[in-house]
Amino acid sequence: MLKHLFKLIWNKKKQNFVLMLEILVSFLVIFAVFTMVVYYYKNYRKPLNLQYERVWAIHFEIPSRPPNRDSLLLFYENLRNQIKSMPEIEAVSITSSNVPFSMSTMQNNFNYDGKGITLNDYICEGEHARVLGAKMAAGRWFSKEDNASKYRPVVINEELKKRWFGNGDAIGKILNKESDHPYKVVGVVTDMKTKGDYQLVEPELYRRADTADYYWLSNALVRVKPTADVAFESRLYKSLPNFINHGTLEIEHLTDKLVSRNSMTLVPMIILMIVAGFFVVNVALGLFGVLWYNINRRRGEIGLRRAVGATGQSVSRQLVSEALVLATMALIVGCFFAVQFPLMNVFDMPASVYLIAIGLSVIFIYLLVAACSFYPGKQAATIYPAVALHEE
Amino acid sequence: MLKNYFKIAIAVLKRRKFFTFISLFGISFTLTILIVLTSFLDHLLSPQYPDTKRNQSLYISTMIRTHSTRQSFSNGPMSIHFLNKYVYTMKTPAKVGIASIFTATNTYVNNKKLNIDVKYTNAEFWEVNEFRFLEGRPYTAQEITNGDHVAVISERTRQDYFGDASAVGKYIETDNERYRVTGVVKSVPITLLFCYGDMYLPYTLSKSNRNNTDLGGEYFAVLQGRSAADLPKMAAEYQQVIARYPLNSDEFDKIHSFADTYLASFTRTMMGTDEKSGTARFMLGLSLVVLFILLLPTLNLININISRIMERSSEIGVRKAFGASSRTLVYQFIIENIILTLIGGLLGLAFSATIIAILNHSQVLPSMYLTINFTVLLWTLAACLLLGLFSGVYPAWRMSRLQVVTALKAS
Amino acid sequence: MIHLQNIEKVYRTSSVETLALNNVNLTVRKGEFVSIMGPSGCGKSTLLNIMGLLDVPSKGEVRIDNEATVNLSDKQMAHFRNKKLGFIFQSYHLINDLKVLDNVELPLLYRNSNAKERTRLAKAALEKVGLSNRMKHFPNQLSGGQKQRVAIARAIVGEPEIILADEPTGNLDSAMGNEIMDILLELNSIDKTTIVMVTHDEQMARKTHRLVRLFDGSQVS
Repeated sequence: MLKHLFKLIWNKKKQNFVLMLEILVSFLVIFAVFTMVVYYYKNYRKPLNLQYERVWAIHFEIPSRPPNRDSLLLFYENLRNQIKSMPEIEAVSITSSNVPFSMSTMQNNFNYDGKGITLNDYICEGEHARVLGAKMAAGRWFSKEDNASKYRPVVINEELKKRWFGNGDAIGKILNKESDHPYKVVGVVTDMKTKGDYQLVEPELYRRADTADYYWLSNALVRVKPTADVAFESRLYKSLPNFINHGTLEIEHLTDKLVSRNSMTLVPMIILMIVAGFFVVNVALGLFGVLWYNINRRRGEIGLRRAVGATGQSVSRQLVSEALVLATMALIVGCFFAVQFPLMNVFDMPASVYLIAIGLSVIFIYLLVAACSFYPGKQAATIYPAVALHEE
Repeated sequence: MLKNYFKIAIAVLKRRKFFTFISLFGISFTLTILIVLTSFLDHLLSPQYPDTKRNQSLYISTMIRTHSTRQSFSNGPMSIHFLNKYVYTMKTPAKVGIASIFTATNTYVNNKKLNIDVKYTNAEFWEVNEFRFLEGRPYTAQEITNGDHVAVISERTRQDYFGDASAVGKYIETDNERYRVTGVVKSVPITLLFCYGDMYLPYTLSKSNRNNTDLGGEYFAVLQGRSAADLPKMAAEYQQVIARYPLNSDEFDKIHSFADTYLASFTRTMMGTDEKSGTARFMLGLSLVVLFILLLPTLNLININISRIMERSSEIGVRKAFGASSRTLVYQFIIENIILTLIGGLLGLAFSATIIAILNHSQVLPSMYLTINFTVLLWTLAACLLLGLFSGVYPAWRMSRLQVVTALKAS
Repeated sequence: MIHLQNIEKVYRTSSVETLALNNVNLTVRKGEFVSIMGPSGCGKSTLLNIMGLLDVPSKGEVRIDNEATVNLSDKQMAHFRNKKLGFIFQSYHLINDLKVLDNVELPLLYRNSNAKERTRLAKAALEKVGLSNRMKHFPNQLSGGQKQRVAIARAIVGEPEIILADEPTGNLDSAMGNEIMDILLELNSIDKTTIVMVTHDEQMARKTHRLVRLFDGSQVS
């Protein structure tokens, strides 16, 4: 029977061509949407591992900084002490501008044993882990005890550890060995989604700020107590200008930053889904209309099939199967295009995302086509053979 | 003849209500998407409050510095020092407005936190842009030179900070500094990067890079000519300025910076390269997006149209039998189809007017008001004709090839 | 073989009631070749459709092979048509999108049979009607007589006991008509297939065993 349907469609290929093309394009659109949905959903399911609720990001523009090393360190010591002197503050870390959920990224290439990896580079201080509520997977966060060390201490995330060391141990390993500034891994931190709920966990490396960095660092992250309110924020805001040479100040809450960072992902996604949804409804209606019309055009054929012994059910089943065979032909071509994405590694997404998306899109198209041909098929089953044959 | 076609078209549409519904649904929603998109682009690119003189202005938004042998690269706005010394003194522009990218600051009033985006400007900024002052006046060149703590605020800031009361002469505090309000202007949406701000301050009050004599900074400039005819002269003079600039640096040996029209300055920041403004690429990308949006609905319409034609094969057979040429029939069908898309276009206009009203009302982007104006209407009409033509030609060709006998027999 | 008793068929539209068949009684014995004649609109085709279980009578009983057909379900009726009946139509009713061989195979598709067997039977049927050389053609590449021969091959491929033919020569010229008629007569005499044929053509009708005349829905002889 299936062969019979293939023949029927193949012999009508000219008429069916546009229909197949339409199903093909719909498949590709749906595939694009599912790829995004699957990708973001996979990321979303990973834990955030970041206690951002009571963390504020302070940005300060310091008009002029002390030129020499000791006074610069003292300047920051005073700033840090001023912030910590307020009772609502739990922890402070002066950091580079790529604070969690911000649009700013800083990428650098580090290498271990000749294997270079481009990673997200963070410069921060000893209390950084406490501020973000980061959990250590191994080792410890850097602290004052590293002052004596020959190497600058860094903490890497699990993703980066996996890429460099696999299942092996990372603690104590030396990075950038041949350069003037080698680094030593002192801890591995659990993966934090610092780019928001929907973004992929990337390899990350946290460096302890050194004197040279303080010439340009202009952000601080602070963890506040639950009692911290607007009044406190206002006091904090007013207390700081004296310690940053009356520069410009801005305080943001990570909760707000997460919302806006997430919406950077969600808004285009929602717009895309609305547009794709409209396409699907459009295509579904069109398919339904064409199939329905085809049944009217093929009344004679249907009547004849009934006359030679097809049951109503088998006629309706035939029409649904015909539509599905048609969809299959389009899907074969569509899948050919779709598998190019994982094969050629376009967009740098894991192959599993594409494969799941292809699977979901195929199911979706089949369901759509089956749904659109179901009612016309039912209609065809009710065609009275005597009437249909007589009409022609 | 046209009237006749029109009558037949309406009759055909009425006869097959379901197909008509499907077609109109597809057409009107496709056009709705396109109209909203066009309206947004029109909002981004057409002259509007307060930047109404875009057609006689050039925009210098970024400067790229490179080195031919070293890998150094720097891209960003310019310093106030450079703009004041080299650009403000240019001869061809009638006015040169200088303003900074906005800086976010906070202020705390009545136990509430306000975010205020501050923009630093020179005095001519107020002449280049035609801001509507709800009260008061802009700050003057004298006040800027004196370093007076004066500010112009937006209507939204006045509402947030002072409530409904008048603000001129009162003091507003942000970033731990107090400023006397000299004027209040109607708010500008963030989509107009050159003009947007919650609060405008004299550039002499800027805290950062006060003594910066380098090229890079956070300011851009708007050159306004006496008329649109001045644009090429201004662009050329700016290139001379760039060529003349003494670049005494080890780090960089080449400057790329252009005085662009608004569209070019917009595309340059998005997809420009060193020398090219990216306008062509932007247009190409935009066309591809539009074609893609049109693709599926067009295929769908073609399918439906083929069905409709086959259904009418007896009518076609009769027409042919009585002497209609294939060409006449093709014209008839395409015109019918265009009438259908135009009806869809009208519906699409109604839908998009609703969507735009909702967007404007909800203030997704504060102070952004989309409109359906003449430009948008013109593009909509073009899209309608395009859709009607695309989806009509192939079915019409199929129709014209129908044999009279088969067409008659198929009834 | 076919037994019709007190058959009545009424077509109702919202305003008009038409009596298509009125108290028709007819028995067709096994191996018989019966023709039905009558002017246009007298109900010939309706009668044939009722015999072929394509239509149900408003009143009366249809027995085929001594089996009452009144209470058969859609599925049972389809099965019945498939096994016992073969149809031939005036306008052939071939599926234009299928090649000749596939058209002939059609009835077998609704049986449990494998592809090889189907092809073999279809080829045999085509051979019988003398069209083996046209198997790979599409119907619209054939002449009217050839088309009707394909239709006959399709009717006999399932080896039915009864063939119902609705004006099989109506669209053909007399030479082709005679050709078709010869095939039918041969089927009747050699294969002992029972045939009921509706026709306009007195000459054709005379070649059959028995002639039934209908006038305005009633049997006149």
